[in-house]
Amino acid sequence: MDINLKNNTSKQLLWIGMAGISMFFAGLTSAVIVRSAEHGWDAIVMPEWFWYSTAAIIMSSIFLIIAKMQVRKGISPTPYIVSSLILGLLFSYFQIMGWNQLTSEGKYFVGPGSNPASSFLYVITFAHLMHVLGGIISLLVTTIKSVQVKYTKENYLGIELTSIYWHFLDVLWVYLFIFLLVSLK
Amino acid sequence: MSDHHKETFISKYVFCLDHKMIAKQFLITGMIMGIIGMLMSILFRLQLSNPGESFAVLEWFLGDKWAPGGVLDPNMYLSLVTMHGTILVFWVLTAGLTGTFANFLIPLQIGARDMASGFINMLSYWFFFAATIVMLISLFVETGPASAGWTIYPPLSALPEAIPGSGLGQDLWLVGMALFIVSSLLGGLNYIVTILNLRTKGLSMSKLPLTIWAILITAILGVLSFPVLLSAALLLIFDRSFGTSFYLSDIVIGGEALHHTGGSPILFEHLFWFLGHPEVYIILLPALGIVSEVMSVNTRKPIFGYKAMVGAMLVIAFLSFIVWGHHMFITGMDPFLGSVFTFTTLLIAIPSAVKVFNYLTTLWKGSIRFTTPMLFTIGFVSTFITGGLTGLILGDSALDINVHDTYFVVGHFHIVMGLSAIYGMFAGVYHWFPKMYGRMMNKKLGYIHFWVTFISAYGVFFPMHFLGLAGLPRRYYTNSEFPMFDGLSDINEIITFFAILGGLVQLLFVFNFFYSIFKGTKATENPWEANTLEWTTPIERIHGNWPGEIPSVHRWPYDYSKPGAEKDFIPQTEPLKEGETEH
Amino acid sequence: MTNILIILVALLVVATLVQLLRVGELLSEVKNQDVNKVTEKDNKSQSIIMTIVGILFLVSCVWQYFSWGHLMLPGASSEHGVTIDNLMAFTMTLIIVVFFITHSILFFFIYKYRKADDNDVAFYYPHNNKLELIWTIAPTIVLTAVILYGLSTWDKITNADTSESAIIEVYAKQFNWAARYPGEDNSLGSYDYKLVQGPNALGVNMEDKTSLDDKVTREIHVVVGKPVLLKFRSQDVIHSAYLPHFRVQMNCVPGMITQFAFTPTQTTSEMKDQEGEDFEFVLLCNKICGVAHYNMQMKFIVETQEEYNAWLAGQKTLSEKLLTQN
Repeated sequence: MDINLKNNTSKQLLWIGMAGISMFFAGLTSAVIVRSAEHGWDAIVMPEWFWYSTAAIIMSSIFLIIAKMQVRKGISPTPYIVSSLILGLLFSYFQIMGWNQLTSEGKYFVGPGSNPASSFLYVITFAHLMHVLGGIISLLVTTIKSVQVKYTKENYLGIELTSIYWHFLDVLWVYLFIFLLVSLK
Repeated sequence: MSDHHKETFISKYVFCLDHKMIAKQFLITGMIMGIIGMLMSILFRLQLSNPGESFAVLEWFLGDKWAPGGVLDPNMYLSLVTMHGTILVFWVLTAGLTGTFANFLIPLQIGARDMASGFINMLSYWFFFAATIVMLISLFVETGPASAGWTIYPPLSALPEAIPGSGLGQDLWLVGMALFIVSSLLGGLNYIVTILNLRTKGLSMSKLPLTIWAILITAILGVLSFPVLLSAALLLIFDRSFGTSFYLSDIVIGGEALHHTGGSPILFEHLFWFLGHPEVYIILLPALGIVSEVMSVNTRKPIFGYKAMVGAMLVIAFLSFIVWGHHMFITGMDPFLGSVFTFTTLLIAIPSAVKVFNYLTTLWKGSIRFTTPMLFTIGFVSTFITGGLTGLILGDSALDINVHDTYFVVGHFHIVMGLSAIYGMFAGVYHWFPKMYGRMMNKKLGYIHFWVTFISAYGVFFPMHFLGLAGLPRRYYTNSEFPMFDGLSDINEIITFFAILGGLVQLLFVFNFFYSIFKGTKATENPWEANTLEWTTPIERIHGNWPGEIPSVHRWPYDYSKPGAEKDFIPQTEPLKEGETEH
Repeated sequence: MTNILIILVALLVVATLVQLLRVGELLSEVKNQDVNKVTEKDNKSQSIIMTIVGILFLVSCVWQYFSWGHLMLPGASSEHGVTIDNLMAFTMTLIIVVFFITHSILFFFIYKYRKADDNDVAFYYPHNNKLELIWTIAPTIVLTAVILYGLSTWDKITNADTSESAIIEVYAKQFNWAARYPGEDNSLGSYDYKLVQGPNALGVNMEDKTSLDDKVTREIHVVVGKPVLLKFRSQDVIHSAYLPHFRVQMNCVPGMITQFAFTPTQTTSEMKDQEGEDFEFVLLCNKICGVAHYNMQMKFIVETQEEYNAWLAGQKTLSEKLLTQN
């Protein structure tokens, strides 16, 4: 398959996959909307840590954008991809700290300390983190290939694909974060 | 581009990247599961028509535990009904139908060497295989397979205390379905991207065979709706295994008050049917596509109203997202919502009617060849009309009040799915068998298969409308506890008789299929004298499909019996002659 | 032993089929024909078979209606049920007419347009926008009528005036039903599922004063001609209260209350005169709910005011049942 065609089809495959993932989260968020309209929906304060993780993931996306700019100029993108990866790992760490904060405040996923709102908060952030894991693996692979100087300014498909997916996870997180902020009131 | 890598048995038949082999993997797996699912229906039909009677065959298949003394155990009855539905809806009519024909036909009909990503395609099959193994294992667990219906509404599906099948059997079902959904999504990605990007020179969207249009729309439907089922299943898994209360509230079971509060089973129904309804169109659309193709080839006429056929499929697909509530009219939902869903549901009848009229017009003044695929195509048109019309009753909320969950529904959905869609699948298998295996399927056996199936199938499902209008609920182990249903036992016996007859003749089809692979008369390159690109590939079937350059396309696929042409068909690869207009 | 025999027989059948097919193929080789080619003879015989089967199919549909029509539910025994039956008759007539016309066209075309011989040529007719418009607009008009009729019926049923209705709670559990009458104060006492225990099968809160005169019964009695509002609860899983003779159906969902309002128009004894002495109105479960889903029923009796009063008077109140210590 010619290289341009491969680039295009790979990106399209990714886009459609992301459409599918979006529908998965659409299902979960509609469930929140339906449930929050009923009685028994307690307010939850968003853990501080989730604000930090939001910052982390936005910054990691910015580094990926710079990485792409660099590789287009023929400069090695490795430091930027690595920064993105580190911020991605930080994001995951902050999410876990966020859950810790919730449990320390007595808001559990399940059991007598839980309520519908807290259960949903855990499920949605957990589901997102699972998809982030895929993004992190992708960033790892891209890092390794970048170190091996596999990317040229003509062909950096791997960086493009990783970026698209990673930006998607970023935008998805921002949407979920704002959505949860509003719904958990 | 021919074989450039050394083929081992594993790389040729097992972890194959070639779309044609993957298609056959889907087909064979679908056929095997189809036999299992069909067998289940025969077993429970025996119980329904002869309640409490002993049948050696029940004990033979189910053993002493689930059919003590040859009498079907009531829990196993519900398990059989559940697994029958699950296997036939998902394994046969979704994966078996789309997985086979999308994989086989897309590259061949659009002029591509293979799918956009052979690797993702292969993954799609192996996830499907894994799902199959998990589902089959679930049949053998001690507490029995899942038994809350293929629709698995909680709390019944969430509580093992409510029904034994909701224990390990339901866990495995959910895992199996999660794997299945991933398989479906991986496949769908490939279908869409390949159709949009890898068409050969000259093949614009308006020259695509209707089969490909149907598959494209089906794939889009799948990508948008299956993930929502995944989210519903995820929340159910949490309720079952972790004690959350997404769907559960205020429950006393086994003498114990459960801790769950605040959940809503109706939430599950909304999420489930958001997939559930598009799912039936995911099943039907490929069959509509196949039938359009087969009908055109065998009437030697263009399919009437190509643009309208595409438009109708697009409208049906769009509407299919906003009708799911018609499965929930009597859940106590807001009556206004019920009205909205009635409105949108009845609207779907319009594009469906347009398609039926277009099929009839295609037959008009045709020159019909009665090949086996054509017989099944005619059967499709008949059952699509019959099943579609009863949909008008069920889609009307006020009428649904008294027929919901009765045999009227069972009759309706079997006629549209179990008959129409399966007939489309059979038509496809008979029609493309020569391209798949280089041989023809036996004609006489094909005729017998069709006629016995057509008569038996209507014999099974048409009487169900009367059972439904008599108020007989579905999923009842026996009808003998209500005197008001005593008069219905004759009908039930007739249904079981035809079910057994229809079931047995499918074995003839299976025999014909496998016999013909090895001993069928060798086919020519284009035995049906059809126009589409797949018939220009060599009979031996090679990787990359065409030995040299991929042919370019110059016309639409339906130039059959075009005035002024030498033969009664003009392949898509033929350039337009001087002064020849497009259709 | 029998199993081995069965497998052997199956293998023999398959072997016989294989040999039959081989014989057929060899014969055609001798006659120099392609055994699988569809010939003019095939076209003729198949199209005739299709026509015959088609006609027999349509005849069988009519036969089924005449043989089994009497088994369908009798006319509705409720006010709204009559409107449903009328809507059903209208829609059924419509779809039956369309069914017969389209199938007749289908079978006629199959018979007439078979490929008769090599000179038979099809008519190249790719599209006709006018026709398409006609058969888009015609169904639209018909369906608009169906939709409007259907929605107005649904609206009247779901927006029924319940200000005068007698309220009865219907409680579903694996695998039987109970009914709770609100008593003199016409108010059902509050409940909590955690209170379900032993004789208090419905979890009624006996601290609530309005619960004291509630009556829990194992049958439902209502007065003919008086509006009734059934309120549904479930103890464990989703059940569905199906009263087919009244055209009433409503899911019973744990964690919420659903309801259905209707007015019965015929007494049980009237129905017994009409349908036979064995007739009973019945409430059945119509949503898969477990192993005994097929036998979850409750008697439903429609009677005169006097009969109803007499019956209700004979039922114990909850304070008598639950609070009087033995």
